[in-house]
Amino acid sequence: MREISAADLPALMTGSRLLSASTGFIVDACLDWVAELVDRHGPVPLVGVADLPPESPCAAIAMVGSVTALAELPPTGEEPELAVRALEARLGHPLRAVMPLAAATVNALFPIAAAAVSGLPLVDCDGMGRVLPLIQQSTYALAGLPLTPLAAVGAAGDVVVVDAAATRADPLLRAAVTTAGGWMLCAMNPTTAGHLRNAAIPGAVSRLIDVGRVLRTAADHTALLDDLTRVLGAKLLGSGRVVELSHDTRPTGPGLPANPTSVAVVEYTGAGRLIRLEAQNEFLLATVDGAVAAAVPDLLCLLDRRERRVVDPESVVVGDHVDVLVIPAAPVWHTPEGLRLAGPRAFGFPVGHPREGISP
Amino acid sequence: MSSRTQEELSVAELVHYGPLSQARALVTANLDRRVSHVELVGELDQVRRCRPYTAIVLHHAAAHGVWAVESALRLAWERGASCVVAPEDVGVPRSTVQLAERLRVALFAVPADPARHALDLAGAIASPSAARAMLTARCAELFGERTSARGIVGVVNAEVPGVSAALVAADGHVLAGQSAAAAAPGLRVPVPGPDGRPWAELVARLSTDSPGWVEVVRTILHLARAPLAAAVARGRLSLADRVAEDRLILTALLRDEPSPDAERAAADAGWRTAGNHVAVALRAEGVSIVDATPGLVARWRETFADRPLVPTADGWVTWWTGDEATAATVARVVEKGLTRLAAPVALTAGVGRPGRDLPGLRRSLTEAGLAAAGRDEGARVRCFADLGARVVLACLPVGEIAAASAVALRELVESPEGPTLVATIAAVLDCGGSTSQAAARLGVHRNTVLGRVDRLRAKGIDIDSADRRLALHIACYALLNAWPTPEP
Repeated sequence: MREISAADLPALMTGSRLLSASTGFIVDACLDWVAELVDRHGPVPLVGVADLPPESPCAAIAMVGSVTALAELPPTGEEPELAVRALEARLGHPLRAVMPLAAATVNALFPIAAAAVSGLPLVDCDGMGRVLPLIQQSTYALAGLPLTPLAAVGAAGDVVVVDAAATRADPLLRAAVTTAGGWMLCAMNPTTAGHLRNAAIPGAVSRLIDVGRVLRTAADHTALLDDLTRVLGAKLLGSGRVVELSHDTRPTGPGLPANPTSVAVVEYTGAGRLIRLEAQNEFLLATVDGAVAAAVPDLLCLLDRRERRVVDPESVVVGDHVDVLVIPAAPVWHTPEGLRLAGPRAFGFPVGHPREGISP
Repeated sequence: MSSRTQEELSVAELVHYGPLSQARALVTANLDRRVSHVELVGELDQVRRCRPYTAIVLHHAAAHGVWAVESALRLAWERGASCVVAPEDVGVPRSTVQLAERLRVALFAVPADPARHALDLAGAIASPSAARAMLTARCAELFGERTSARGIVGVVNAEVPGVSAALVAADGHVLAGQSAAAAAPGLRVPVPGPDGRPWAELVARLSTDSPGWVEVVRTILHLARAPLAAAVARGRLSLADRVAEDRLILTALLRDEPSPDAERAAADAGWRTAGNHVAVALRAEGVSIVDATPGLVARWRETFADRPLVPTADGWVTWWTGDEATAATVARVVEKGLTRLAAPVALTAGVGRPGRDLPGLRRSLTEAGLAAAGRDEGARVRCFADLGARVVLACLPVGEIAAASAVALRELVESPEGPTLVATIAAVLDCGGSTSQAAARLGVHRNTVLGRVDRLRAKGIDIDSADRRLALHIACYALLNAWPTPEP
């Protein structure tokens, strides 16, 4: 059985930055806090979903809200245990394990914190394999696991338990989040290990650590791309210079947080193809010379070619020299149901996913 | 079906006199493509199904942002569409424009409702003849507003899409318009001059050759003929006026004491009377000065721009003014210019020495005239300074003097050694009577020269006779110049 110690956390965060396609400028503060928790409570056991007895109750842990608000209103340290206990109280039985909803950014750290303080193992899986903006956009939901009841805890000690249909839970929770200070830590998707086997993306946590090590140790740019291809199946869409950056470039439907951004990259080689990336929190769509080349739920990310760091939609600037990478989503996302839930159309792009019609 | 296809409008036509004139042209590639259909696109997938030669008008519903415009461009390229029209408020950035340029898909932005624009486009392509009639009417209106041949041909080049036109003289010289049009075979419409006789041709190269379009262009070229003839007549009249005026001013200036009016008129004509002048005179053998002047002045202006060319009784004169002007530099410029000018008559030029102000100009003009009158077959441009007093000889009517000499010195000329003796007389007189210098010049022994002088005396010709020496010298000079040069 693998364990996560404080020493694993830097690699895990580096990997998390790639798979969330964000720089995670705020999570560094959380990293110290979680490392201290793991030091105090001992390494967190990382178990495969098959290693747990099928009837073991488990739930996902995730922060909902704004990471910027989290920086302004840091956790008191009580939230992870309070969230677990509140959900256990609502369910009427204790949990035997916790897992991430999305193993990326701070949401890769909070499940570790919850596992450490509650003395529970962490299941090596997640429900997104990347970051998606809505809590119901998960493979858990895709497999029919209930989102609710969920327990949410704010930094002021507010505890909210939501019992609602999945589609109503997100707006209800966001209303509470606004009042609670911009973020809440939630325990959700209560289920059992048996149900989780067919609903989770296995190995999601250990993958973060492996990817993080690749990013931290790759000898050079070429080796880095080779390693990412090997570990994640990443594909290089193109390399070039960011030539344009524009915001509020397209109308967006209600319910999606953040503003749309459009990034134009002109390739160095050949005819200088135009790679356009449409983003809203995350990069959602990539077109090459107008043809859709990649789209959610596959992960699109920009790597700074010179500094070998992840460039997110908020930090990208004109003049950056970048590699545009596509990391394929878990196969379940490429099913018709998966694409319906988290494909380009779910984000307001009236185009098909490049893999649409291809059996996963 | 095929004739219907041939009557279709091109994107360029829709831009020039159709609804696309209201649009902002972001990329003007492939404007010659015809437009067969119009598709108002509410969903991007519609572009995937559109037929070739379609004008794709993106509705706001499909233009979800810049990426959607780029997707539409890409699909338009794949489907062979003719152009893409996007709503202005999408805000097409530079990168998208570059993509359209690379795909060579024409891209337009419209400020108004795209749906209305699509309707207007559909109306225009449904009735191409109405749109073309508007073009013809517009050209006719513009022809009336232009007064020069260049302006009239310019209307065809600017307004008629996909057509380059030129006005070409009978000898192939391009008078106005684009030389490329003259080089390629295409439409040719004869243009009569003001006198009704054939004068030039309007030639046009068309990027598409549908019969309907060819007829439209032919009609427009026909419409241009009358304004062109009028413009030429105006030009000729004004040229003739200018030449007469120049001649008058120069005559007044060259008087001993020119009036202030003459100097003012010269200043109005752009002539500088003060300063250093170098005059040039042109001569053309066997040509009527009056007849040759209009054509020569027209060509002269093409080569030397505004430098005046004033006809005189013997030919034409002009002059260079400025401290830097020397006879040698002016001679070089004239030599080069005459080559470029390619005048249909053989011209010779004489260049005077530099002279200051009006008296200097007067002298320089006289010198230039003398230098131009010489009969030195070798040089087209002669400088007075190089000829010196010899210009006097150069002005002699050599032919007439030679004929008279042949009669006066018949015995000498007709004798077997006539040419040798004539050359000997000339050499001895050239050398001031020195037989040894004459022998050196002729390349013979002094005794040979003495022998020839004795034989001349025996024929009654005394070289030393003071009262006959000048006549004898001129007669030999004329004979030697009139006789053909012996083979080496």
